[in-house]
Parts: sequence; structure tokens; C-alpha cells
Amino acid sequence: MPKTELSRLSRRNFLKLGAAAASAFAVGQFIPPPVARAARQSGALDENGSGYISTMCEMCVWRCGVRAKVVEGKVVKLEGNPEHSHSHGKLCARGQAGLMNTYDPDRVLTPLIRVGKRGEGKFRKATWSEALDEVAEAMLKIKNTYGPEAMVFSSTHNLSQPLFENLLYGFGSPNYGTQRSLCFNAMIVSNLITYGMEEPARDYSQLQYLILTGRNLTEAISTSETIDLVDSIARGAKVVYIDPRFTKTASKASEWLPVRPGTDLAFHLAMINVIISEKLYNTSFIDQYTIGFEQVSSAVLSYTPEWAATLTGIEADVIRRIAREFAAAGRYALAHNGWRTSNFINSFPTERAITILNALVGNWGMTMFPAAGEGGGGLGSPPQPPYPRISAQRLDGVPWMYPFVPLKIGVFQQMRDSIVEGKPYEAHGWFISRQNPVLSLPDRQKTLKAFNKMDFIVTMDILMNDTGWFSDVVLPEASYLERYDPLVPLGNQIFIRQPVIEPQGEAKSALWVYKELGTRLGLADFFQYKDEEDYIYQQLAPTGISLDELRLQGGVTVPSSGDSNIFKWSTPSGKVELYSATLQEDNFDPVPAWLDPPQPKAGEFYLLTGKVGQHTQFGTQNNQLLHKYQDVPRLWMAEEAAQNLGLKDWDMVEVTSPVGSVTVALEVTSAIRSDCVYLTPGFGHLSMALRTAYGVGASDSQLHVTYTDPISGGQALSQTFVSVKKA
Amino acid sequence: MSHKNIPLPERQRLRQKMLKKHNLANILTHWFNVASWLLLLTTGIAIISSPRLGITPIWWQEMFRNLFGSDANLIRFHYTIGFIWIFVILFNVLVGFRKYFVPFAAHRMLLDKDDIKWMLTKPPQMLGFMKDKELPPQDAYNAGQKIYSYFVVVCTIGIMITGPLMVFKSLFPPIIKQIAQPIHFICVFVIVAWLFIHVYMGAIFPEEKEAFFSMFSGKVSAWYARAHHEKWYNQMLKEEMEWEDKVEKEVLESTQIKEESSALH
Amino acid sequence: MPTKNHYAFVIDVTRCIDCRACLVACSVENSVPMDHTRIWVHDQQVQGEWPTLSRVFVPYNCMHCDHPPCTEVCVSGATYKDSTTGLVLVDQEACIGCGYCVEACPYGVRYIDQKRGVVDKCNACVQRLEVGLQPACVATCVGKARMFGDLNDPNSEVSVALQNAKSVTRLDYEKNGTDTDPNIYYLNLAETEGILSSDTFGQVAQTTLPRDPHYTISEEGWKKVAIPLVAVAMGATFLAQAVFFTKQLLEGEKDFED
Repeated sequence: MPKTELSRLSRRNFLKLGAAAASAFAVGQFIPPPVARAARQSGALDENGSGYISTMCEMCVWRCGVRAKVVEGKVVKLEGNPEHSHSHGKLCARGQAGLMNTYDPDRVLTPLIRVGKRGEGKFRKATWSEALDEVAEAMLKIKNTYGPEAMVFSSTHNLSQPLFENLLYGFGSPNYGTQRSLCFNAMIVSNLITYGMEEPARDYSQLQYLILTGRNLTEAISTSETIDLVDSIARGAKVVYIDPRFTKTASKASEWLPVRPGTDLAFHLAMINVIISEKLYNTSFIDQYTIGFEQVSSAVLSYTPEWAATLTGIEADVIRRIAREFAAAGRYALAHNGWRTSNFINSFPTERAITILNALVGNWGMTMFPAAGEGGGGLGSPPQPPYPRISAQRLDGVPWMYPFVPLKIGVFQQMRDSIVEGKPYEAHGWFISRQNPVLSLPDRQKTLKAFNKMDFIVTMDILMNDTGWFSDVVLPEASYLERYDPLVPLGNQIFIRQPVIEPQGEAKSALWVYKELGTRLGLADFFQYKDEEDYIYQQLAPTGISLDELRLQGGVTVPSSGDSNIFKWSTPSGKVELYSATLQEDNFDPVPAWLDPPQPKAGEFYLLTGKVGQHTQFGTQNNQLLHKYQDVPRLWMAEEAAQNLGLKDWDMVEVTSPVGSVTVALEVTSAIRSDCVYLTPGFGHLSMALRTAYGVGASDSQLHVTYTDPISGGQALSQTFVSVKKA
Repeated sequence: MSHKNIPLPERQRLRQKMLKKHNLANILTHWFNVASWLLLLTTGIAIISSPRLGITPIWWQEMFRNLFGSDANLIRFHYTIGFIWIFVILFNVLVGFRKYFVPFAAHRMLLDKDDIKWMLTKPPQMLGFMKDKELPPQDAYNAGQKIYSYFVVVCTIGIMITGPLMVFKSLFPPIIKQIAQPIHFICVFVIVAWLFIHVYMGAIFPEEKEAFFSMFSGKVSAWYARAHHEKWYNQMLKEEMEWEDKVEKEVLESTQIKEESSALH
Repeated sequence: MPTKNHYAFVIDVTRCIDCRACLVACSVENSVPMDHTRIWVHDQQVQGEWPTLSRVFVPYNCMHCDHPPCTEVCVSGATYKDSTTGLVLVDQEACIGCGYCVEACPYGVRYIDQKRGVVDKCNACVQRLEVGLQPACVATCVGKARMFGDLNDPNSEVSVALQNAKSVTRLDYEKNGTDTDPNIYYLNLAETEGILSSDTFGQVAQTTLPRDPHYTISEEGWKKVAIPLVAVAMGATFLAQAVFFTKQLLEGEKDFED
């Protein structure tokens, strides 16, 4: 695909070239530290370059601690770090496959500049100098012509986020896109309103009764929590799992409820109704630590199990019994707040109902705890000036369309829609880092329309994913096994993300790229670190922890900075807000109320989405080891429905939604409701540079209709209805 | 022809006169082959450790595995000797293939009518029957030896092909190696079966005592040759007489020339 | 044969969530070629009538049998039951890759690595055991379904697990005089006729395991035809020369008459 071979920039030559750069954006003497030298110095590797280096995984957001086995400078095996609370010494399939991600033959290892048309996939190799100059020039041009807000920045939330934000806000743009609104906005916003924290921590050690609403933990694996769930079940805890699909979690749960999609809320409201009307709740907790019980009581009066039964398809007796069992377990019960809660327009009140269930059994301090402090450890950071004042409105409607959505999270699909509409203003450039919006945003055709409107698109990634395929410049990022990232504390521990091998080719860390680009954009003050190691030195400076010690151990424990009193919440009332005046003020329901979700017409299906244990969203399908062991991605359909349509297992079918259609193979299964179909996301890649993933499966982003919840900004991914016929 | 008709002094002369039957190359190749076979057969038998086939006793397997340290070393030794053996034999056969091997094969390997008759007479005679029947004359190698040589050639080719198939294991699919193993085995042990006869006939059977020593000296007595390999003996005599005639003629010619030249002066 | 360590796997199927971390870990640890796998998770697929459904996952790999049919057919002695660990191992330097053992295994857990021309299979990560680590699959098992250890040690995790288990079953093959006595013990696996093998890593079910050991035509031919024939031939020639030798000894050396 690259048209002309430019001379490759060797790391040794970079120093010479850097000093001799004729460009107006003088690059500093920025020498990445050789990995082996550092590792040997800390004692992790021997003189042959062999040993174990501790770092953190990045195959998903759980970021399990990893001990990487290095033999003569090559990483040969990854193990879970037993000291890390997220891994407990285990790694899931994706974590184990991580080195294939680093050694993927389709890695982009030099900067690439587009030479063909957008989407043709024709690029030429370029030097970092040339590529960064071009990017900075394009960005500055947009800034000077249309204003900094015309430049959109998006990144999937990761450890380098602070520097990404420096780039974004330093540049002066308010347009911050993250993947959050496609995932857990409903949960986060609900928790923020109820508890004043994004997500309380869960403790399974005393758990006796668990309600899982979705949260397919055995397939949407968060290693330590998945282990906790399996352990709890083995210990005899009862798990009630609510999902229209019989997933692997359903096969482990004590009871599976195939609820009609969009009606989880009714189930929870009915449970609240039973617990309150039968006075099964924890009075002391309610009285002492919550506000709004009265309002909740009157609001749920009509939400009887009988009422819920007609909506959910679950018998009233079952709902009643579960409510009683749940309440009987008292503080040892837990209603899980879910994770990806981007299902329906009523996902937000569903989340609120879950918080009420937890409050009713008063499990705070037993199965629920305050979130681990983010500011723990007393880490420092390089000095930086305050951000310039940004007056432009955000394209994603925060806060003027979505007053409750935190700025750091945003409403990504709204940003895309605004770009397409050109309102309230046109965007002209897009900087994407570690993200694949072409596949993640609903309605792929619309995303590509948004792309077409751009004057300039630059993507930073380790592979030529679909977003890179449609970009003008692709910057090769070093994979997680090849780079440092800023330290982020985990509770009262600090773990390091450090390189295990030398970065291959020209790949560079985000810390380096952001600084280089930032400097060219005149934002050097926001990147006041010499190199990655220097950044971490500055973070560690106030703590007295040595970088060598951290490198060798992988992680250190710091004195806990949290409050010993856990019965405090950062809400306006200082208590758990079952009733939210804040919501009331904006004319939203202050307590959860039933909201009827749309339903498919006859002959149409709910298009469900979900996770598999062998892949992470939209980025791992090219990994050969995961590809080896994946299930062929097919459309699930119930036998009855398939028979009615005259379809057989493995038939190729055409799936059509209001925005697009795909062709995919059919999987006839008894594990799904007959009014639903399911497609695993992340397949149907457009980039032909992903030689393992290209041509496999179909993309649900081509089918999803964009529906945004007005309160949390969450996308309603399950609200798309499709028709299916033989292809 | 019967030896009874030859007078004693003639017999004595014949016994003392020696004819060259095997050249140095033949002798060296033969004993190289013997040495190789000793090593290959013993180690080869030690390698076969399939309990289901149950060919080799455990103590034999263990002795060799202890000697070489491991299965892998034993196998490596076996095929190293094997490759040396293949190279040397093939070298001997193929170098001067036209000049030496082809006539060798033509005279000493092809069966003729006498051979067939001999095959039907000699074995019963050895058992004590058909004492009166006359044995047809044999060439340098008798019919038995010729038939033996066919087996040797075919089985040796079989061994030389199947061995490398098993050594270069990544080049061939499993089915090739599955078939190569029993064929290798069969070729080896068919020859071993024949060896019982060959070694007995060549080294132990009293009539063939001279044959045994000829594999060292290369020579057999004319008496022996006449008795056992009459056709070859006659051929040797013929060549000798021709040679004598030729020398005589040359001497005569040179003497004549001398006389003529001296006459001129 | 009694070995110093009696290593075995104990697998609790209620804990297996088919995450396949074990499959990937094994592939990486042992450089398994992309088109082969040393270990599997058998998916029993969704059973039952809506909505009373169930699904069980059964991880399996080489059973390191106490009476392995594979070691019975190996001609070069490359595969053997290790006398110290009790594991069934393959010395790939001695292996010629003929595949008799692949056919003979009732669990179908062996395969030919054509690139190297040798047989490969689970070796319980013996290279990790040597440095005090668990096999890769066990170390990373997210559900903690896989356990491994020495049954000769009553305090090992596996011994304790078996003692406390409510139900223990093995996929034992007992037919035609062969009793493999496998060393994977399953906890909470309902009595089953067997599990289905997976050809392409779980996509299409092939045979039911354990299956009858297969003996290839060449090996059967070798055992039943070639050996007897060769034995007869050798016996005949040996006998022939023995007869003459005896005759010779009895008659005395008959030198050339003088």
C-alpha cells in the first residue's frame, strides 16, 4: 500500500536529523531510552536481555498487571501479575494474546501519509518529522481559518489521557470525543447523581445474592471481577441473571430471566415495589444515609409485579420471590450496576432503579464501597499553564443539550451527528488516538459522511484499523508492550506501564507524540518533560519512590489517602440521593419512572449486541491468536423464528435496519428470545490492511440507528430493529 | 567335470596355482559393508521399541540407550553410519559404473540355463540326494549367489530410500514415514535371512573354505575354481592362453625385427 | 508403573467459562503452530428446552494416561511415560513423525507439526514445572477450573480437590483390553458417553471422544504380516544352515581328498 519508499528513519539518525531539522517547528533532542538498558539497570533483565518485566495490559480497559517474560530482547510469554488486584495472577485470552498484538505482521511501523483517495488505502511512508510537520501545519491552518473548535479530538480513555487533554484544551478546542457514551454513560451519570462518584467499588467476598442486569461477566471479562463471580457461585452465592440471551454467564447463574429487551426497568421497579410494600428494606440505612425514600415509595406504587410481568415476560410470582430473596440477603445482596449500559432510552432510569435496590438492602460497606481514590499516592505532574479560555460550544451538545453529562465523557455520537449536520458550526479536522470510531459509532455510513466533511484527519494507532484506513495521516503508536504511559494509581497502589521490548520500527509512545505535536503547535508548555522517563520521574518526585524500584517491582503500595468514614457521598445532600433535586430542576424525573421503550414491529427483531471473551470491541480481530480461537461471528436467531423465515443454520442472511444492511451467516440457537437477534460487534472491518480480520463477519455499526438518551447521553444500542431474510 | 580324471601331479599344480577372483575394490567394499551392517543392524534393532510390535527385547533396547545416552543419540548414530554407508556403497557402484560395475553385473549377476539347472540340483545334493547327478558348470558366482545378489540389490535400494525418508522428517508427510518403517524393516531382515546362508556358505561350509580366504587375498586356487566355478576357470585359462600367445607373438616379432635389422647391417 | 510424581489435572467444569485464555496461553508458551492446538475446551452446546437451558464446558488435553495406547505403538521410542513425573512426553529429536501414535490416541490429542515433521501434544508444560511454575493453562485459568499437581502428595491442590469433590469422573477408555486410566479428573461433570472432538477449534463436532485407537494399515501390516513372514524366512534359512552345520560337525571336517 505505501506508494514510494522514503528512507526509513533509524533511531540513531533521528538525533542527527532532529538537530538539523530545517522546519520551523524545531524538534528537541528527544531520545527515547533504550528499554533493555533501563531494565538491566533496574535489575529486571540479565546481561542477555532475559528476565521478567512487570507492566500492565492494555487489551481492554481493565488493565491487569502483567509479568512479561523476555528472552534476549523478545517478549515470549505474558503472565498475570499476582500482586495486581485486577489480575490476581491471571490473564484472560486477550491478555495472553497480547504479544501477538505487538508482533502483528500488520503493525504500522512508520508514519504514513495518504496518497490515494480517502478509503483507498494508498499511503506512502514518511519520516516522523515530515508527518508531524504536516499534521501540525494542517491543524494550525484549521485553527487560524475556522477557529480551534473546528478541530475535533477523540480518544478512547486511557492512561495517557491527561496529555491528550493537554493537546485538546491547549489547542483551544472543546470538542472531546471518548467512547464513553457508547458504553456506560447511563451507569456513570446515574452513579454521579446518586453517590457523587462514577462507580462505587464492589466486594464479592461476603456476597450471598447477586442481581446481574446484563453484565455478562464471563464473556465481558474483567479478570478479577470475573474470578470473584465464579468464586462466589462456587461458594454457593445465588446469582440472578437478566438477559434476553442465554449467555455463558446465564449457564453459570442460579437463575436466568430472559427479560424482554428494554424492560429491565420494569423488573427493578417491581422489585422496589415489593421490597417497600412488604417492608423488607433496611430501615436504618434508609433513614440515616439516604434522601428521597418517600418520593420513591409513592412513585413505585403502581409498579406491581403483575404490571411488570406483562411488560417483561417474567411471571409475577418470580419477580416477587426474587425481590424477597434479595431483601432477605440484606447487606449481603448486591444489584450490579452493569457496565455497558447503552441499551435503551430508559437505561438511565434503569440504573437509578438499581441504585435504589442497593440502598434498600443497605449493602454499603458490605458489598458496595466508595470507589478507590483516583488521587491516591500523592503523585506529582509536570507543571503546566492553565488552559486557554474556550468559548466555543461543544459539538457534542455538552452541556447545552446534555446538562448532566460530564465534560470528560461527552456524547460521542452527538458530536458525529453535529459534524454531519454542520451545526452549530462546521468541523474541519479530526485527531483520533487509540480509537476506532468508524466501527464503534452507530451508523457507520454516517460516520464516513462525517469523515468526508473533514479537511484533515489524523489517526494514531498501532494497526491500520478502519479509522486509519480513512485518514490522511497515520502515526504509528508503540504498543503497550513497547512504551511508558503516565502512572495512574489503583486504590493505594501504583503500578507502572513500562516497555518490555524496544519499540519496533518507528513506533513511538503517546507521551512522545503528544509532546512532539504539541511543541509544533506552540504548546510546549503543556508538555514539560524531557522524555517518558522524565515524565514518570516528575510524577514520582513528591512520593519518594524511585523509578528503578517501581520498574523492578512493577508496583508499589502507598499510604491510603482515602477517608476512613465511608458513609459520606459527594452529593448536594451528602447522602445517597434516591431522589435527585438536580434532575428535578432540569425537568427530568427525580426518581426513576417507567419509560416505555420502542418495540419492533411484527417480523422485526431487536438487534442485540454484547461481548465475547476472545475479543475487545473493535480492535483485536486482527490478532492471529484470538482469531485462531474465536467463534465464527454469526447472527444468532431462535429456532422458531428461523423456521418461520425458512432459514437454516449457516445460511447467509441479509440483515436490514433503517440505516443500512449487512450480509452475514446465521446461527440458529435456542439461547435467544425469538423476538431478538444478536451480532457480536467488532467484525466486518473495512480496512484491507487488517489481513487477518478483513472479510470476517459483519459490522453492527452499519445497522445501528443513533438514539441518544437525553439525560446520560448514552447511545441506545439495543433500540435498533432489523428484518432478516435469506441473502 | 569330475576331479577323478585328473592325475595327482596336475592336481597339485592346480592347487598351488592362484587366480585373482576379487579385486581390491571388491574386497574393501565387502568388508566395509560387513562393518557397517554390524553397526547398523545392532543399533537399528535397538531402536525399534514398539511394545505392540514386540520385536526387540527390552534389555537390548536399554543397553544401547544407556550406551548412547538417549533415544535421539542412538538414532543419530544409526543414520550417521547409514549415510556414510550409503555414500561409500553408491560411490563404489557409480564411479566407473560403465567400466566396472556393468561388466561385473553382466558376468556375475545374470542367470543363465546352467544356473537354473544348478539351482534344481545343488540343494538336494547338499542334503544327500541326487548324488549321481552331474552339476552344470557355474560362472564366477554360482546361481545361489546370483539370486542372493538380486535380493541384496533390491533390499539395499529399499533401505537406502526408506532410511532418508525417516531422517528428513519435515520434508515428507506422515503416511510416507508410516510406510517407510515396515519396508525398511522388511528389506533389512530379508537380507538377514539370506545372511544366514551367505555367512554359512561363505565362511563355515567346508567346501567353500577357499572362498572365505579369497575375500581377504582376492585369490582362489585354480583347483577350487575348476571345481566350483568352471566356466569362470575356463574363461581365466582362455585369457591366460591368449595372453601367452600374445606375448609370444610380440617376442617373435621383436626378435624378427632384430634379426632383420642385424641382417641389414 | 508407579512413578515418583503422579501428576494429574483436576478440572471443575462448573468453573469453566470458555474464556479460552488457556488455549491462547498454551499456544504462546509452547509455540504451537497457528493451524493446530494442543488443548481444547469442549462446548456441550446449549441443552434443554426454552427457557430451561444449560451449557457446560469441558476443557481437555492429553490425559497423560497411566496406560497410554500411544506409547505402545511408537517405533523409535520417542514417546514415553516419564518415570519421574508420570507425564506422557515426546522426545521430538527421536520422533520421526510417522503418526502411529496420533492414530492410536483415543482422545485425539496428538497432531503432526508438519513444519518440523514431528508429533506434538500437551506436555503439561514440563519446562515450566522444572522451574516451579504451573502449566500455562492452569496458571492463567480465569475461572480457576483447571488444577494441576501431584496426586502422590496428599496435600497438593489436586489431592485435596479430589477428596472434597462431590462428583469425580474421568473420560476413561476401557475396551478391547485397553484401559487408558487417564489423568484428567473432572469434577461435577455429569456422567457422559463421551465428549465431541473439535476439528476447527470448536466449530464442527467430529468424533466422540474417547474413540477406539486406530492402528494404521502399515503398522497392522507390519505387525500381522511382515513380522511373521520375516520370522518364517529367517527361521527357514537359519534352520537350513543349522542342519548343514550340524551335518558338518557330525561328519567331521571333510578336507579335499588327497
